[in-house]
Amino acid sequence: MFSRWNWVACGFYLMLNICSPDASGGLVQSCGHIIPESPVLPLGSNFTALCILNESCLDFGNIYANQIIWKVKNRVVPKEQYREINRTVSSVTFNDTSSLATPLTCNILADGQIEQNIYGITVTVGLAPEKPKNLSCIVHQMSKSTYHMTCTWDPGRHTFLDTKFRLRYSWPEDIFPDCIPKGVNNSCTFHDVHFFVNTEIWVEAANALGKAESDPLILDPVDIVKPLSPQNISVIPEVLPTALKLSWENLISHSVIRLKFNIRYKILGDTNWMEIPAEDTASHRTSFSVQGLRPYTEYVFSIRCMKEDGVGYWSDWSEEKTGITTEEKPSKGPPIWRIIDASHSPASWTVHLLWKALRPFEANGVILQYEVTVRDKSSLSGPLKKYNVTSTNHTLQLPNGTYEVTVIARNSAGASPPSVLLIPANNSKGPVTNLRTLPKHDKLWVGWTAPNSYVLKYVIEWCLVSSSSDCIIEWQIAPGNVQGIDLKGIKPFKCYLITVYPLYADGQGSGQSVKAYLKQDRPSKGPIVQTKKVGKAEAVLTWNHLTVDEQNGFIRNYTIVYKTIDGNETVVTVDPSKTEYTLSSLTSDTLYTVRMMASTDNGSRSGPDFTFTTQKFGKGEIEAIVVPVCLAFLLIVLLGVLFCFNKRDLIKKHIWPIVPDPSKSNIAQWSPQVPAKHNFNSKDQMYPEGSFTDVSVVEIEADDKKSFSEQDLKPFDLLKKEKSTSEGHSSGIGGSSCMSSPRQSVSDSDEGETTQNTSSTVQYSTVVLNGYRDQTPVQVFSRSESTQPLLDSEERSEDHAGGADSTAQRQQYFRQHGAQDETNTDRPCFERPKQITHADEGDLVGFVQLQFSGQSSQPLGLGMEKNIQEAALSNVFQTSTEGQTLRPETVEENPLSVDEMPKSYLPQTVRQGGYMPQ
Amino acid sequence: GDSWGIFTFLCAALCNLPALPALNCSEELGAGQSIQQTYDLTRYLEHQLRTLAGTYLNYLGPPFNEPDFNPPRLARAERVPSATVDLALWRGLTDNARLAANYRAYSRLLCYLRVLDGQVGTAELRHRLAHFCASLQGLVLSIGGVMSSLGYPLPAGPAGPPAPHGAHAAPNDFLKKMDDFWLLKELQTWLWRSAKDFNRLKKKVPPAVVTLRLEARGF
Repeated sequence: MFSRWNWVACGFYLMLNICSPDASGGLVQSCGHIIPESPVLPLGSNFTALCILNESCLDFGNIYANQIIWKVKNRVVPKEQYREINRTVSSVTFNDTSSLATPLTCNILADGQIEQNIYGITVTVGLAPEKPKNLSCIVHQMSKSTYHMTCTWDPGRHTFLDTKFRLRYSWPEDIFPDCIPKGVNNSCTFHDVHFFVNTEIWVEAANALGKAESDPLILDPVDIVKPLSPQNISVIPEVLPTALKLSWENLISHSVIRLKFNIRYKILGDTNWMEIPAEDTASHRTSFSVQGLRPYTEYVFSIRCMKEDGVGYWSDWSEEKTGITTEEKPSKGPPIWRIIDASHSPASWTVHLLWKALRPFEANGVILQYEVTVRDKSSLSGPLKKYNVTSTNHTLQLPNGTYEVTVIARNSAGASPPSVLLIPANNSKGPVTNLRTLPKHDKLWVGWTAPNSYVLKYVIEWCLVSSSSDCIIEWQIAPGNVQGIDLKGIKPFKCYLITVYPLYADGQGSGQSVKAYLKQDRPSKGPIVQTKKVGKAEAVLTWNHLTVDEQNGFIRNYTIVYKTIDGNETVVTVDPSKTEYTLSSLTSDTLYTVRMMASTDNGSRSGPDFTFTTQKFGKGEIEAIVVPVCLAFLLIVLLGVLFCFNKRDLIKKHIWPIVPDPSKSNIAQWSPQVPAKHNFNSKDQMYPEGSFTDVSVVEIEADDKKSFSEQDLKPFDLLKKEKSTSEGHSSGIGGSSCMSSPRQSVSDSDEGETTQNTSSTVQYSTVVLNGYRDQTPVQVFSRSESTQPLLDSEERSEDHAGGADSTAQRQQYFRQHGAQDETNTDRPCFERPKQITHADEGDLVGFVQLQFSGQSSQPLGLGMEKNIQEAALSNVFQTSTEGQTLRPETVEENPLSVDEMPKSYLPQTVRQGGYMPQ
Repeated sequence: GDSWGIFTFLCAALCNLPALPALNCSEELGAGQSIQQTYDLTRYLEHQLRTLAGTYLNYLGPPFNEPDFNPPRLARAERVPSATVDLALWRGLTDNARLAANYRAYSRLLCYLRVLDGQVGTAELRHRLAHFCASLQGLVLSIGGVMSSLGYPLPAGPAGPPAPHGAHAAPNDFLKKMDDFWLLKELQTWLWRSAKDFNRLKKKVPPAVVTLRLEARGF
C-alpha cells in the first residue's frame, strides 16, 4: 500500500519536475542528462554515453540508475550494453557507431511500467575528410590580360558530413584569399593569377570529424597557361605560286609570354590536315609564309599556340581561314585522241579531235583556251593550221594523209607543254595481245600484253553497246609502261566494247577489242520460241536472239524444255549462236509445250511457253490414202458406165420409151374432119388411153405442187415457168403447153382460121414432140414457118386486146363454157416457143418480159387470180391453180373424148374451146 | 654598431631561411631559373605598368595624361627611391649591391603603391592596381630569392612597415597627384633598369645550371 503511494508520489514529482518552471534551471528542470551532448562520431568507432540522474529526483522519486533504459530511435538497446556505474549513472556502449541512430534517449521505468523519458541526444555519424588527391591546375586565358586559374582535385570518399573545401594559394610571405568552391567539391577557379612567382597551391578539406590537406602544388602559374588561339588570321598570296603568307594577331604580349605555333593546312574539301614542321614555327611571331603549295589551289589554314618553352598547354586551334595560291602555267598538255570518220567520202576524213580537260593540279589555273595545231606531214612545206578552241573537242575535215596534231592548254600564267597525236592511224604497227578484263568492285580492269616494240602510251576506248543508242565512245590514256588500267563509271549489266590501241613514237598500232561486263545478271527476258514447221515426229523451232539490252551478260547457251501435257520434260541445250533447232522423235498428234531459256553466267530466264500439236499423218500419208481411193472410185464409175452402155437398150426401154412421131403418121392425107377423129383414134390406139392418162396425171401432179408453191412465192418465176411449160408439153403432148400460153387463144382472127386450118393442127403435134424430147426449137421454128400468117394475126390481136378485163372475161367465158376448139389452142402453143427462141437469142431480160407478157393472159397470171377466185365460187374445179383446174378437166374430159375425140384429147382444147363462141 | 647590425641581420636571415619555401624552391631549381623568372616578371610588370600607368594618368586627368607632360621633380618626391643614378655608376656596383638596391627600392615603392591603391575611386582601376601590387610584391620576393640563391644577404632596411601615410600627406590634391605621377614614373624607370640588370645577371649564371634548366625544359 505504501509502496504504491510512493510510486504515485514519485510520478507526480517527475511530472512536476519536467513540467513546472524552475527559477534556477530554465524552463525545464530535467531529472538527468546524457554525456556527451550531441556528439559527432566517426563511422565504425565505439561510443559510450552516460546518463546521469539528478540527485533531487533520486531522493524524491526513488529513481535509480538501474532503472534506466536506453533507446535508439524508439528501439530499446539490449541490456548487455548497459553498465551501472553508480546509483545515478548508467552507461551504454556501442561497439560500432554504424548501429547508432538518432536520437539516443535515456528513459526510466517508473513504477515498474510507466516509461519516462529523461533525456535525449542527437548522434551524428560520419567520416573525417580524406586527403584530397590529384590536384592539378590550369590557367585559361580569358581575354588579352585576364587569366583564370582553375584547379581540380579528387575529394576522396563521401564523409556523410558537411565537409568544406578550400583552395589555398600562397607566396612565401603572402597568403591570398582562399578559393571556396561553389556547388562542387572538386574544383575551384581563381580570378586573379600572378605570373612569374612560384606559388604554392593546396586544398584543405574540413568537417566536424577532422581536417585534411592535399600535397601542395608549387608552380609558376605561367607554366600552366592555356593561351587563347591566334586571332584575325589573314592569308595573302605570295609572289610564288606555291606560297601563301599567313599573318595573325597574338592575344598575349611577347613581353609577357613568348609563344610558339603550330600551323596546319589542307586543300579545301580534303579531310586530312598537313602540318608545318614545328621547328619552323617554334618562336614568337605574327606571320609565316607557307611554301610548297600547289598553284591555283584553295587552302584552309588553322593555327594554335603555346608558351615558347613548351611548358603549359596548347591553345585550341584557331578558326579556319582559306586562301588561294596564284596561277602557274599548266604542268602538262591535255591527253588527246581522235575519232576518224571516213564514211562521207573516200578521199577525205572527218577527224574529231578529243582531249580531256586537265585536272586542277595539272591545269594550275583557269584554262582560257586550247591551241590546236595541225601539220601535214606528207608534204614538208605544208602550212601549219592553227585553231584556238575553248571546248575540249574540235572537228577537222582533212584530205587523206598524215598529220601531226598538237594541243596546248593555256591559262593566264602561260602555256602547257604540247600534246602530240599522229593522224591517221598507221595500223601496220603491232597491236596489243591477250586483251582481257576483270571486274574489280565498281571498276573494270582492262589488261593486255604489251607489243614487242616500245610503246609511248596506250589509248583505251570504250563504249556502252546498246541496241537503242549509238555507241558513245569514251577514252582514256594510259602510260606506256602499264599493262592494265581500271575503267571507272562502268555500269553493271551493260555490255561494253573496249578497244586498246598502242601509240608508238611514229604511229599507232591497230586496236584490239573485247566485250566485257562489269557485272552480269540473268537475262531480263527469255527468248520467244515459235515453230517454223511441225511434222508428225519432229518440229522445227525458231527464235530470235535477245537484244544486247536484254542479255545482261554473255549468253552462254540456250536451253529448250519441251514436254507433252502429261509426259516427261525433255531438256536440250543449244549453242547460243543458233536461232533454229529441230526437235525430233516426237509423238504424232500430241500437244507439246515448249519453253526456251537463255542463260548467262549469272542465271537464266525463260521465255513464254509455246504449244504446238504434231501432225497425225506424216508427209505423203494422206496422198497415199486419197489417191488409191479416188482411183477406185473412178474405176467403179467407169465400170458402171460401161455396164450402162452395154445394157442401154434395156435401160432405154425402161426409162426412155420411144414415142411415135405423129408427123410420120399418114394423118395428113386424111380429110380434116374424119382424119382428125381418125387420127386421134389411131393415137389412142397407139397409146392406150388409160396409160397415157396415167403418165399425164403423174407428171402434172408434180407440176401442180411445184406451181402451187410457186404461186405463193413467185408467181412469175421464170425458170419454174419454163419447166412447167416444158412439162406441160410433155404431159399433154401440147395440151398443157396450150394451157400455159392461153393468150394465144385470145386472138379474134383465130376463130375462122382455127377451124379452117387442119394442117396447123397436125404441125402442132410435131412441134410438141420435138420440144418435148429434143428441146430443139429450131425444128419447131422451121415447122412453124408454114403457119406464119396465122401467127402474125394472132400477135397483132394480142397487142390490141391487152386489157386484163377482157382477158378475164374471156377466161371466165372459157371456163363456163368449156369450148372445145383445139385448133385455136394449138396455134398459140406453137407460137410461144418461137417467141422464146427470139428471146433466147436476144437477152434474158427480154425473155422474161416476153414470158411475163405471155403469162399475163394466163389464168394463173397475177391479174387473173381474182377472177380465178371469183370463178371458184361458181365452179369448184376452178378455185385454185392451173394444175388443179387442169386435172379435173382432164379427168372430166377423158370421158368426153370418147364422144368428141379432138376436144377431149387435150385439156387445153377444152378451155380454148370455151373461147370459140366468141 | 654596424657590425652588430649586420650580425643581427644575418642571424635574422639565417633564422628566416628555412621558413621560406620559395627560397628552398629556388635553391632546388637553381639560381639561373630564379634569375630568369625574375627577369620575366620584371618584363611582365613593365608590360602591366605600361597599360596601368596610361589608365591611371587618364584617371588623374590633365595635364598628367598629356604625353609631353614632364614636370620638375619636387623635393618632396625625393622620398620615392629614384632610379636616376648615373648609369656608369650603377654598372660599377656589385651584383649584390644592385640586387639589394632593387630590393629596397621595390619594397618602398610597393608601400607607396598600396597607399595609392586605397585612394583610387574606380573599382576596375583599383582591381588592376591591386593586381599590380601583388605582382610587385612577387618581384620583391623574387629578388630576395635570387639574392638568396646567389648567397647574398637580404637588405634589412625596408622590412619594416611603410612610412605612415598621414605624415607625408600632400598638402593639396594637385601635389598628391604629382606624387602619384612621380611614383609611376619612378616605377617605370626602376623596372626598365631592373630588366637590364637581370638580363645581365642571367648571362652570368653558371652554364651547368643553364644546361640543367634546358634539360628540364626539354623534358
